[in-house]
Amino acid sequence: MTKAIFIFLASLLILIPILFHYGAIPITTQLIICAPFILFLGIPHGAIDNILYRKNHSVGNTVFITVYLIIIALNVALWYLAPVLAYCMFLTISAYHFGQSQFSHYLSKQAFISKMIYLFWGLTILSGLLFFNTNEILEINNEQPQFAEINTLFSEDFIGLLFLISIISTLGLLIFSKVTNVISLENLLMELLVLGLILTSFYLLPLLIGFTLYFIVLHSYKVISEEFRFLKSEGTVKSTLAFVYLVAPLTLLSFFGIAFLFALIYLNILAMSYGFCLLIVISSITLPHVFVMHQFYDLLFSKKFYQMEK
Amino acid sequence: MILNDILTIPKDDAVAFTFFTGYMAMLAASIFFFFERSRVDDKWKLSLLVSGLITFIAAVHYYYMRDYYVATGDNPTVLRYIDWTLTVPLMCVEFYLLTKAAGAKVDLLWKLILASVLMLVAGYIGEAFVPLNADGSPSDGATSHSVMWGVISTIGYIYILYTAWFGEVAQLAKNSESEVVKTGVRILAWFVLVGWAIYPIGYMCMPGGWLNTAFGWGSQNVDLFYNIADAINKIGFGLVVYNIAISSSKKAA
Repeated sequence: MTKAIFIFLASLLILIPILFHYGAIPITTQLIICAPFILFLGIPHGAIDNILYRKNHSVGNTVFITVYLIIIALNVALWYLAPVLAYCMFLTISAYHFGQSQFSHYLSKQAFISKMIYLFWGLTILSGLLFFNTNEILEINNEQPQFAEINTLFSEDFIGLLFLISIISTLGLLIFSKVTNVISLENLLMELLVLGLILTSFYLLPLLIGFTLYFIVLHSYKVISEEFRFLKSEGTVKSTLAFVYLVAPLTLLSFFGIAFLFALIYLNILAMSYGFCLLIVISSITLPHVFVMHQFYDLLFSKKFYQMEK
Repeated sequence: MILNDILTIPKDDAVAFTFFTGYMAMLAASIFFFFERSRVDDKWKLSLLVSGLITFIAAVHYYYMRDYYVATGDNPTVLRYIDWTLTVPLMCVEFYLLTKAAGAKVDLLWKLILASVLMLVAGYIGEAFVPLNADGSPSDGATSHSVMWGVISTIGYIYILYTAWFGEVAQLAKNSESEVVKTGVRILAWFVLVGWAIYPIGYMCMPGGWLNTAFGWGSQNVDLFYNIADAINKIGFGLVVYNIAISSSKKAA
């Protein structure tokens, strides 16, 4: 069990009875509860992409940021031209990224079978989130005109089928990985337990709280901890404080960027709902981040980072 | 006549069934551990004695609990918690004995016992003193009571879970030279993670409990889950210790 899994489990055991006792929580309240965690842990885990990428590639910071911004701009354009396609791409890429960070420490290379596990594991949890909260998501989407086109995707049958195919594929791939000795029996059992806990939390907890618990504890905390340990092993940072200084500039820039966009909406300069704007922003920063993280894990495997830590 | 009065078990009563099988399984396990004690090295004899005591104490309580349940149809909550008050700290003693050779100090034992006492006392208050109406249905405040004491009890569980997976017990096992101890402690940690987690499911089935109010799971499920969990944890825990003792003794021979 990793510390992230332990924190997730402990949080779940405490939160489920308490939140159930309080009953239904409005989405705005959920957002207020979750926002600080997403802002202070979620955003920072992607705020040193430039440093991580340049560890293994001889690219200048200016070139890196320029390419990063071009990818973001292209993604924003795609959201305007084909929102359903952009949304599907965002979910698929996020699914792959979530799976990659979940399984990175078990593996020594990103073989084809590993990539399949990343994708299907991620699809399982994202389709599970949608499947167990379809009504809540539709309700939110119906309040925002820009989501109307995306709503066409939210047929319960389609999401249910996707969830079923994903979970069967994930279980099959995990068992295959055990049979071929890619992962141990203990790791297989732990991953089955974690998957069960994540899906239980999506089923039992309010939509945003359930997702934030997964996103912050099992994803962002794990990734940021790996980034810190790697940079420490490389001598780039020597303490937690130094790491905080490292992630601070782009984290703050992201805060200001989001605040600026929200201000434009508030002043009626940008005709868009806050939710839709946030979705585009998140998907736009996710796209290049996933690419950088893929390179980062390649670097960790080539340096035998996890084996060295044992 | 007396036997007929006492031992009539309804055919569809899974709870009564698990009380009777639980009792026999605990007794059989105790006899097994006591007899096998002579086959292991001296350093493991105390561990096996404790394993035998855990299942024997449980067997005695199950003897009373099954009769109480069959006679009244009620949850034998007090007897249950008397049993746990004795056996759960003994499980903590098992962790201590296993890691003692790797340098575990008595402090560790006391910390684990304190956490288990917190877990049990809070669980007992949550379960035995839940406010009920005259007809046994949960009254106002039953859910708050159940949730509050359940959460306090969970803190004790989380501490033991942390100790077994990351804290002193895990570190001592990691530093131990014996692979058998390392594997054994890891398996016991799994018992704490999965086996002990069955108890809260039972707790949440009581009147006013979360599973009771949300999904309508009846209070008879409290004992069903507790009996299953007891069988897995007490006998399983003992068998893991037995396996460590016998493997270690064979290696030494």
